[in-house]
Amino acid sequence: MNLAFQDIRHHLGRFVATSVVVGLLFAVVLAMSGIYQGLVDDATVLVHRVNADLWVVQQGTRGPFADPSRLDPSLELRVAAVPGVQSARAFTTQVLQRDRGGRQLRFALVGLSFPEDRGEELDVVQGHAIRQAHGELLADASLGVAIGERLRLGRDEYSVVGLTRQLLASGGDAVVFATGADAQAILADDSSDALIAERERRLARLRDTDLGRSQPALEGLVVDPRWTFPAVAAPPIHAVLVNAAPARLDEVRDTLARWSDVTVWTRAEEERLVLQGMVEKARMQLGVFAAILVITSSLLLAAVLYNLTLEKTHDVAVLKLLGARATRIMALVVEQAWATAILGYAVALALGSQAFPYFPRRVVLTETSVVGVGVLLLVVSTLASVAGVAYAIRVDPGPVLES
Amino acid sequence: MEALRAEGLEKRYGEGETEVWALRGVDLLLQSGKVVALLGPSGAGKSTLIKVLGLVTHADRGDLWMNGERVLEGGRPVADVGELRRSHLGFVFQKANLIPFLNARKNVEVACEIGERYSPGKRAAELLAYLGVGHRADAYPSMLSGGEQQRVAIARALANGPSLILADEPTAALDRDRGRAVMDLLRRVAHEQGTAVVVVTHDHRALDVFDATYEMEDGRLSGPNLAA
Repeated sequence: MNLAFQDIRHHLGRFVATSVVVGLLFAVVLAMSGIYQGLVDDATVLVHRVNADLWVVQQGTRGPFADPSRLDPSLELRVAAVPGVQSARAFTTQVLQRDRGGRQLRFALVGLSFPEDRGEELDVVQGHAIRQAHGELLADASLGVAIGERLRLGRDEYSVVGLTRQLLASGGDAVVFATGADAQAILADDSSDALIAERERRLARLRDTDLGRSQPALEGLVVDPRWTFPAVAAPPIHAVLVNAAPARLDEVRDTLARWSDVTVWTRAEEERLVLQGMVEKARMQLGVFAAILVITSSLLLAAVLYNLTLEKTHDVAVLKLLGARATRIMALVVEQAWATAILGYAVALALGSQAFPYFPRRVVLTETSVVGVGVLLLVVSTLASVAGVAYAIRVDPGPVLES
Repeated sequence: MEALRAEGLEKRYGEGETEVWALRGVDLLLQSGKVVALLGPSGAGKSTLIKVLGLVTHADRGDLWMNGERVLEGGRPVADVGELRRSHLGFVFQKANLIPFLNARKNVEVACEIGERYSPGKRAAELLAYLGVGHRADAYPSMLSGGEQQRVAIARALANGPSLILADEPTAALDRDRGRAVMDLLRRVAHEQGTAVVVVTHDHRALDVFDATYEMEDGRLSGPNLAA
């Protein structure tokens, strides 16, 4: 006769209620673990998906995500000419927030080096990659736009031709891809008043330089929109993405690293820069909170199971007087704790799989976190019930049975 | 046949001014198939003697034999207590102390399983029928009356064919008729199953069921007073 099963069957409502509470508790632990992993994944997913071997950014910066990076568009051609380079793509990115029908659309706009880069490697799950030089967008599905939907960005309307999945910027915002020219046009979309104000700012910045003070005649040139004096002009691109022949990757990197106007990062370095620079504090905060949550939940679970075990002191005393072996008494308590943990785990997983997709930020359940929470539940339930039964088994049955 | 023999059992609680002698040199001899009563006022040491005989509480001094086997020497167990409880001892308390999540049949079956001597299902059915609660086999303890619970408790105590049943005020929570019925059952068990039964009781109205009575006072045992 399995006493744990008999007890569970007789107190089914209490068992289910306890397991559900345990499940809710550990669903929160799973969620926190998933939010942490989601933050890390979101921060690096763009670096992953654009699939560049090297990131060439402004000299001395950790750009383009962790640090502003400003490069002249001509760098793309210079890099492409380096022996061993298979492709060089201009990369721009900027977070935009636009009102659309009363709803705020917040996204990171990334420019693709069309026609070489049409976004075909971005895992388009619906629609197709960019085919036209102007007017087409690839958007992440999390933005809530549909294929064929038209968005007014700047002075033009753009059509959504393809959707990606879970392609987010480090801040968790959806990424929208346009051709490089379109991205520049959208970013440079200024009203007349804004243009006048920009001219004034350019003049002010020029007057702050020694050159401007010594040569006032330059002011006429500065306000000419075609003029791109580096100290006052807007940066055209933020990085150049390089793919090199695998055998020559180190050679290409060494060559580019010798250039005095750029800094070169590998993909792994770029990911580390993003994690360390952009989400480090949030990651640490979430990590510490997740650790506290794990400890608190474990202690709560242990307290619940320990108290459930103490409630069996009377039954344990009876079994002792009947001459039951310690293994049988242990089985009554430990098997029931395991059953509670297993059902609680199932509730946590079921709840997580249903609820996590609706969280505002992505919740990523890794195999490690899913298995880890299961193992944690089993270990805590075992330790708590063993501690409980160790106490109960020492109790003198005489007074217990008289009470 | 000698079911139990105790010699010089002593037990004290507390120290110094709070010291209380619960047992003072208790000698006792019980024969199989006899039912005896332990009488005496509260605090006389009856329950302590039952617990020492049942190996629930250790004595400070004294020796004890069950079925000829020495189980206590100088107050300390010298045999496997678990094994003795499984094969030689049965307990009945004031409260039935049934396991609440098992029905009547399973309460008896679990004792059979622990004893590993009889087939649990068959033995439980036989004992419940023998004690007149066979029709309540599927009822949980909360659904049984006090008298029915005590009958199931007696069936459980008999599950492994013990040589000694120790009953500590088994009728205290029952009304007179049900109490009398339980006492009659214990007598029947002793005489028909050949089990020695020791009953602690305050109920002097049922003394006629016992083969002998012992009196306890201040930890001292006197008797036996044999039934007329």
